[in-house]
Amino acid sequence: MTITAAVPAGLLFPESLLHSQWFAVLATFVAINTVMYAALALAKILPKLHPSDWIRTRNERSETRSIHPDANN
Amino acid sequence: MRKGRFSRAVGIFIALTASGAAALLWFAVAAGGPALSESPAQGFFFGFWSILYNTDAPAPRITLAAIAMALLLAAGVAAVDRRIANRSRRSLDPLTGPLAPRVVMSATRGVYAGPVKVTVLIPAHNEEISLPLTIASLLEQSRRPDRVIVVADNCSDSTVFLAREAGVEVIESVNNTQKKAGALNQVLQELLPELGDNDVVMVMDADTRLDDGFLAAAVDRFAHDRALMAVGGLFYGEEGHGLIGQFQRNEYLRYSREIRRRRGRVFVLTGTASMFRARALRTVAASRGSSIPGTPGLVYDTAALTEDNELTIALKSLGGLMISPEQCTVVTELMPSWRTLWAQRLRWQRGALENIGAYGITPPTLRYWAQQLGIGYGVIALGSYLLLIFLMVVSLDTWIWFPFWLGLGALFMVERVATVWKGGWRARLLAVTLFPELFFDMFLNVVYLKGVADISLGRTASWKHVAPVRVPETTGAERR
Repeated sequence: MTITAAVPAGLLFPESLLHSQWFAVLATFVAINTVMYAALALAKILPKLHPSDWIRTRNERSETRSIHPDANN
Repeated sequence: MRKGRFSRAVGIFIALTASGAAALLWFAVAAGGPALSESPAQGFFFGFWSILYNTDAPAPRITLAAIAMALLLAAGVAAVDRRIANRSRRSLDPLTGPLAPRVVMSATRGVYAGPVKVTVLIPAHNEEISLPLTIASLLEQSRRPDRVIVVADNCSDSTVFLAREAGVEVIESVNNTQKKAGALNQVLQELLPELGDNDVVMVMDADTRLDDGFLAAAVDRFAHDRALMAVGGLFYGEEGHGLIGQFQRNEYLRYSREIRRRRGRVFVLTGTASMFRARALRTVAASRGSSIPGTPGLVYDTAALTEDNELTIALKSLGGLMISPEQCTVVTELMPSWRTLWAQRLRWQRGALENIGAYGITPPTLRYWAQQLGIGYGVIALGSYLLLIFLMVVSLDTWIWFPFWLGLGALFMVERVATVWKGGWRARLLAVTLFPELFFDMFLNVVYLKGVADISLGRTASWKHVAPVRVPETTGAERR
C-alpha cells in the first residue's frame, strides 16, 4: 500500500465500513449460511447412504404383484 | 370446493416463514456480538510474492452448529417425506387412499386383465416443426406403443396433416378454451372407459423425444407391479442455444441426478413424458370435487397452470405409487431466450404455488411446501452473499485473500462440477467458473420472487404460449 492517504479508502465506501458492527453481523450471517450450504454441497458429492439397506429384513412379498396372477414373485 | 383455501395467502405464508427464519438467525448472530474484522496480515509466497490475507472465520463451534443444522434439516425433510410415503403405501382404506397399493391389489387379486397396452396422447398446439421427430421417436421404440393419438388443439398450421402423414391417429379438440389440459380432458373422457386395468396412457409433449428403451422399461415395470400407478420420465435438455442452453442443461442434469440418487422417487411426473395406469386416471377423475380439487369427472384440473405438477399431487394424495426409472429418459426442448425462459419459469413457479395452495398443508404436499420454503430461504442467503461480496469489493483498495471463503468456494466448485460431470466438458467448464451459475440462480430467484409477489397481490396469471419460430433448433413452445 503505497498510497499516501491517511484513511484507507475503497472504491466506493471507506474501509472502516468493514470494521463496523453491522457489517460483522452481516459477515457472520452470510458465513453461517454459506457453511450450511457447503455442508449440503458436500452431502451431494458424497455417495448417498441408504440406511434401510443395512438392516436385513425379510422383505419378501407375501404374494405376487405381477399382472399375471400365477407369477412367482 | 376446497379451491382457494390458501389461494393468495400461500405467497404471504411462504415469504413470512422464509424471512422469519432468516431474521431469527440474524438476531441470534447480533445478540452474540460477532467478532469485528481484524486487519489483514502480510505474508510472502516463495519468499518474494507479497500477499495480504485475512484469517477471519466464524468460531469453530458456530461452524459446527451450522453444519449440524443443515444436515439435520435435510435429513429431517427426507425422513418425514419417507415416513409419509410409507404410511400411504401401507394404507388399507379405500376411501382415503383409493390408489394405495394394498387397496389396488385387493381389487385386482387373481384377475388377469390382459397384457399391458400403451396408448400415447400427444397434445399439440401448432407444433408442425417438432411433431414429426416426436412421433418418430415413439415409432422407433424397441417396444412400440399400441396406439398413438395426436390431440390437435386449435391448430392453424400443418400439425394435423403431418400427424396423419406419419400414420398416427388425430383427434381435434372441440370448442376447447382451456389449453392443453382442456384438450386432454376431452380425449380422456372418451378413451378411459374403453381401457382395461392393465392399460396405460402416456401423455407426452410434442416437443419431446423419447430415448429408446423408455417404453420397454416402463411397460416392464407396469407388468411386474400392478399397484404401480405412474411412471415419469427423466428429462434432459436438447443441444444448442449457446450459453442459456447450457445453463438449462446443467440444471436438468442436476435434477436427474437427484432423482437417481433418490432411487427414482418422484417429485413431479413431468408433462414432457409420463405414463399412467388407466385406473389411476379414472380414480383421479372420480375423486375431483370431493377429496381433491377440480371438476368432478375430469382428469386434469384446468384451473392449474402446471397441470403435470397438479396431477402428481393428486395421485400422491390418493395414495398412488409412482417412479421415475433410470432408463426412462427424454430429450426436451429448451427456452432459446431469457424472455421465453422468464415466461416459462414464472408459469412453473406460479403454478407450483397455486397447486400447494389448492391442496393446503397435507402430508403428501409437505415435501412441496418444504421445497418452496427452501427456495425462499435460498433467495435471502444468495442475496446477502452477493451483497457481502459487493461491499467488500467496493470498500477495499487492495486485494486481500480470505482463506476461509476460498476454501468454501473450492468446495462449491467441486460440487458444481461433480453434479454435472455426465454433461461433458462444456457442462463442467460452465460449472467450474461458479459465478455465471450463481447469476443464473439469481435470475431464477427473481422469477421466484415475482411469482410470490404476483400470487400475493392477486395478479392474474396467464399461460403464454410462445409461438414456435421457423428456425432449425429454435422452437419456443412452452412445456412441461
